[in-house]
Amino acid sequence: MKFLVVDDSATMRRIVINSLQRIGFHDTVEAGDGLEALARFDSSVRFVITDWNMPNMSGTEFTKALRLRADGRRVPVLMVTTRSAKEDILIAMAAGVSNFIVKPFTPQVLKEKIDALLPAAAA
Amino acid sequence: MRSCRRRRPENSAMTDARAHAAYYESEAALRLVDQELDQLREATDPAASIVELPLILERANQQIHTVLARLRDVREARHRSACGTLQYTHERIRAVTLATEDAATDILDACDRARHIVDALDAIDTAEPADRGRAKALRATLRDELFLMTGALQFQDITAQQLAHASAVLMDMETRLTDLATLFSTTLSVAALPANSGAVPEAMTYDPNATTRHAEARQHLADEIFMSAKVSAA
Repeated sequence: MKFLVVDDSATMRRIVINSLQRIGFHDTVEAGDGLEALARFDSSVRFVITDWNMPNMSGTEFTKALRLRADGRRVPVLMVTTRSAKEDILIAMAAGVSNFIVKPFTPQVLKEKIDALLPAAAA
Repeated sequence: MRSCRRRRPENSAMTDARAHAAYYESEAALRLVDQELDQLREATDPAASIVELPLILERANQQIHTVLARLRDVREARHRSACGTLQYTHERIRAVTLATEDAATDILDACDRARHIVDALDAIDTAEPADRGRAKALRATLRDELFLMTGALQFQDITAQQLAHASAVLMDMETRLTDLATLFSTTLSVAALPANSGAVPEAMTYDPNATTRHAEARQHLADEIFMSAKVSAA
């Protein structure tokens, strides 16, 4: 299963990818912002993990744009962000985010969220 | 020296509006004083003017008092704004120090545990017969510790956001101080001032409230909000 990992921090992308590898997902592609992610996304990507605050295009804008594409309408989008206020979560949900992880996260939380969304990713 | 109260920077647009209002009102008041003095200079009957002099000076005095009161008002507003901004920035920078310290402690603790595991593996190697089962379990624990060290490095992303916010606040402060300096000095050239120290970080690239603290509690709260919003939507 291919994951698209979107974050403007190269450190965070590496940490997320290391975490994915640890739980058995080795097929990943990276992007530094929402615009780059839109360009990298194709139907082979089955799961998206994205940050919120990024240059050029934020994670919520990227998710909205992805949901407008035929190939991105159903793909699970997991937002990993420092934001955790109620209004932020509601904005993310309205944008089409499938679930929400607060930074700094533990590998256990990442695994739980991915496991919960795997049926949708496999569909 | 007045103490700075702990609070977030207030809306500086209000301070700007007050500064501009005070500037124009002060200018109008001084123009009135000028007019009074012109009338006195141009008087055709010096004796009558002398009689009016105390009244003219009284009016001029009142206008000057108004100007001074306005200037004090602006100074107070600027002081409050600057104190709040600097205090908040100080708190953000302190948060960076704490986050860095926490991450360093977590990594050092994991290093200590990893070293003990390596010692235990060495001991297993020298023992006869070697306990391969225990060695396997220890290697798994060692991998966990190395993974914990990697996870602790998330502080870098969070502190980068905290510093970006502090940097944006300081650059805003720099601009305001330059505006203030030019407002009160007609001889100061903006070109002569030191150039702004760099590009202001884009607001969309950082979360002003980014923190490494209480992640578990914040995740729990986020889960509750997410679930209740999902239930409401369904």
